[in-house]
Amino acid sequence: MNLIACVKQVPDTEAQIKVKADGSGIEEAGIKWVMNPYDEFGVEEALRLKEKAGGTVTVVSVGPARAMETIRTALAMGAEKGVHITDLDNADAFATASALAAAIKEIPFDLVFCGQRAIDDDSAQVGSILAELLGVPQVTIVTKLEVADNKIKAVKPIEGAQLLIEASMPCVVTAQKGLNEPRYASLPGIMKAKKKPVDVKKAADYGISADFKANVAKMMPPPSRPPGKIIQGDDPAVKAAELVKLLREEAKVI
Amino acid sequence: MSDILVNSRDQKFLLYEQLDVEKLFGYEKFKDYSKDVVDMMLGEAEKMAEEVLIPTYAEGDREGCRFEGGKVSVPACYQDAYRKFCEGGWLCPTKDPEIGGQGMPAAVFSACVEMMDGANFAFMMYPGLTAGAAGLVEKYGTDEQKEKYLSKMLSGEWTGTMCLTEPGAGSDVGALRTTAKRLPDGTFLISGTKCFISCGDHDLAANIIHPVLARIEGDPPGTGGISIFLVPKYRLNEDGSPGELNDVHTGNIEHKMGIKGSATCTLNFGDDGKCVGELLGKERQGMRIMFQMMNEARLEVGMQGLGHASAAYQRSLRYSKERIQSAPIWEMKNPAAKPVPIIEHPDIRRTLLWMKSYVEGLRALNYFAALALDMTHVAEKQREKDLWNGFLELLTPICKAFTSDKAMEICSYAIDIHGGYGYCSEYPVEQYMRDCKIATIYEGTNAIQALDLVGRKLGANRGANVTALFEKIGETIARAKGLPALQKEGGFLEEALGAVVELTRQFGRWGKSASFMIPVLNARPYLMILGDLVVGWLVLQAGAIAEEKLEGIYREKGAEGSRAKQRALARKDEEVAFYQGKVASAVYFTAAVLPTIQGRCRGIGLGDRTPIEMLEASF
Ligand SMILES: Cc1cc2nc3c(=O)[nH]c(=O)nc-3n(C[C@H](O)[C@H](O)[C@H](O)COP(=O)(O)OP(=O)(O)OC[C@H]3O[C@@H](n4cnc5c(N)ncnc54)[C@H](O)[C@@H]3O)c2cc1C
Repeated sequence: MNLIACVKQVPDTEAQIKVKADGSGIEEAGIKWVMNPYDEFGVEEALRLKEKAGGTVTVVSVGPARAMETIRTALAMGAEKGVHITDLDNADAFATASALAAAIKEIPFDLVFCGQRAIDDDSAQVGSILAELLGVPQVTIVTKLEVADNKIKAVKPIEGAQLLIEASMPCVVTAQKGLNEPRYASLPGIMKAKKKPVDVKKAADYGISADFKANVAKMMPPPSRPPGKIIQGDDPAVKAAELVKLLREEAKVI
Repeated sequence: MSDILVNSRDQKFLLYEQLDVEKLFGYEKFKDYSKDVVDMMLGEAEKMAEEVLIPTYAEGDREGCRFEGGKVSVPACYQDAYRKFCEGGWLCPTKDPEIGGQGMPAAVFSACVEMMDGANFAFMMYPGLTAGAAGLVEKYGTDEQKEKYLSKMLSGEWTGTMCLTEPGAGSDVGALRTTAKRLPDGTFLISGTKCFISCGDHDLAANIIHPVLARIEGDPPGTGGISIFLVPKYRLNEDGSPGELNDVHTGNIEHKMGIKGSATCTLNFGDDGKCVGELLGKERQGMRIMFQMMNEARLEVGMQGLGHASAAYQRSLRYSKERIQSAPIWEMKNPAAKPVPIIEHPDIRRTLLWMKSYVEGLRALNYFAALALDMTHVAEKQREKDLWNGFLELLTPICKAFTSDKAMEICSYAIDIHGGYGYCSEYPVEQYMRDCKIATIYEGTNAIQALDLVGRKLGANRGANVTALFEKIGETIARAKGLPALQKEGGFLEEALGAVVELTRQFGRWGKSASFMIPVLNARPYLMILGDLVVGWLVLQAGAIAEEKLEGIYREKGAEGSRAKQRALARKDEEVAFYQGKVASAVYFTAAVLPTIQGRCRGIGLGDRTPIEMLEASF
């Protein structure tokens, strides 16, 4: 089976994010970068399928030079090779998906994994656009997957229920927490990863320009929360009346 | 970066900027390594420590080990952690790739182990002892023994121990009474009781291989008559799998102050006269062979201290920013003054900086010793090899004893910073202190380490090792004195060095005279003095490197000569803040600790022998 896992490098969930003074993005100094956690589920699922049914896992990433670390992490986990598209800084979901699609079309593929969203921009679009561009079915937010007879059976939780969705392969699956427990990159894996091939590409190699459909006009820190107010007093009835008054006049919520 | 266990920026400073481990990658042995690879390994070590080991820390302590029906079980949560740990390849990364390791430099592994030891040391003893025992098989085993044991141990499928101590033979290993009786087929029947055997029995692995010190019947008393044997818990079947029990029975497990997840066992060998051991190496070479494992283990105990000290500091730093208590002292007379985070109080700041400078210095000491070990493997010229080997031998007792003693103090201060909460199990610092304490005792008590330093290591190589160390310290003095910001500090280190050199010479003179008891009496304070000197050297070296970098940054950003601009820069730029912190450690340590060295040296130099001469009745 030819398995593809798309990965994005994002700031660690524990990183302290500071917005640049000019609003053009975040301060990158001192940030620890990691593989997008939802992409990890995708990589893990691809590796498990390979280990069960044979085949190869290729990781594809759009991102600046440092994103190579994330590709190497996936290789250290067990993927065979990588493709790195380096010059699409601040790309929107469409440009990213276009680059991924162009790269993936050059490789035979049966199943493509994406994370259900990236934890940095939270757009949750790349997997779906990618499926459209590849012209294949998609199942998003998958927590359980079975592959047999050139078909997938995927479980997708929705409000109050679970859907069991069948799709024919090739197709795109976006991974949700719960799909599996991603393995750690082992030390032997890290040593081997160094020697695995990674194709480094430019967007122009695929005829993609940096002319994006959507651009972030400005990034602003979330508004700081005004301090809370404690209503003083001994008589609950008086305090309740005061609360109602404040909710009506100050907070204007009732 | 969560930096819950270590300051990872400081680890990288030490590896790349201070010790320059990248030079190692130029040697054939380490040619597969690069900064990228090492960074990735550090990242994985951090994950293993934080995501797999930390969750077992308090739980392993609460649950402890159990001894029921003659069988020992470890805390249940260790099982999954042990599997993940071994799968990750963490049991023996420094071993050669041909036998299942990754050929990792010891200096790099130190940084990984520091995090893991800080995360859960009790757990780390199982893989640690296994790697150590496997090392003995690797170096001294016959081809057949290697075939039988090595790969199973290095994969973690079977574990290992070290069996020295007996009820009557603790510090004095030579007093052991376990015996070995020759069998016609060349194997031996082992009989005796070992106590305090770490990881001596447990349910993590299918077999346990015990290297056991014992005396072959008829061999002379003392350490010279001791041999070492490989004694598997289960004898091996023809196909190499574990078979019937080898008459090794667990008598009991200890109930301890700390490291409760590590089973400390009394092991009875040969109660039924059926315990078979295989000689490892040659007869009566047991002590020499076991010393390989002991020397490694002493460095590991140093790392145990370091891991706890670092985690204790990181926790204290975090807590002191969160805990709000008391208005600042200058608001004393203002009843309306608001309480502040305790990190704003001078005593807390001083304590934190004391902890910080020691943690950084101990980190540098222990990694430097590991680098020395690496250099003994790769150095091309014999002289260079000897030099590094000299550092390693001289520093081993200091790594073990100085680090563990200081780590205890650091853990104790961490509890102080947490106040009453620190004494309670809601915060991990009380467990750090309990788990850390054993490091001053096992692997040879710190008193025994001091005797090793003063009795053997100082005079070794006709004093050339210690002289080479003093020369290295001299280089840093010169470097610091060349920097306006650290000139004074260079002077402090020079004065301290002068006092230690003089006391060391005096020890030499006493050692050859009727007063030889004075160095013996003062071995432990001497070790602590030498430890402070070495830490002073290493923090000042780090300070000088940082100061040189800062000078460049200030020039570039137009902040030369302006304290205000330099401080403003540090507020915006984490790198600048970090380097300023390194200089702060150097300046503080040289002022707060180094000047005490002269006083301590002077005191010992007086040659007082009251503790020896006074009557026991007067105690
Ligand atoms: C939790 C734990 C785990 C252990 N794990 C192992 C293990 O895996 N394998 C193993 O073989 N052993 C192990 N030990 C044993 C440990 O190494 C010994 O406890 C230690 O060496 C001290 O021996 P002892 O307890 O008999 O103390 P003693 O030797 O009785 O010492 C008591 C005191 O006397 C001092 N003293 C003794 N002799 C001298 C001297 N010549 N000069 C100055 N002072 C002296 C000591 O420093 C100490 O302060 C472990 C112990 C513990 C508690």
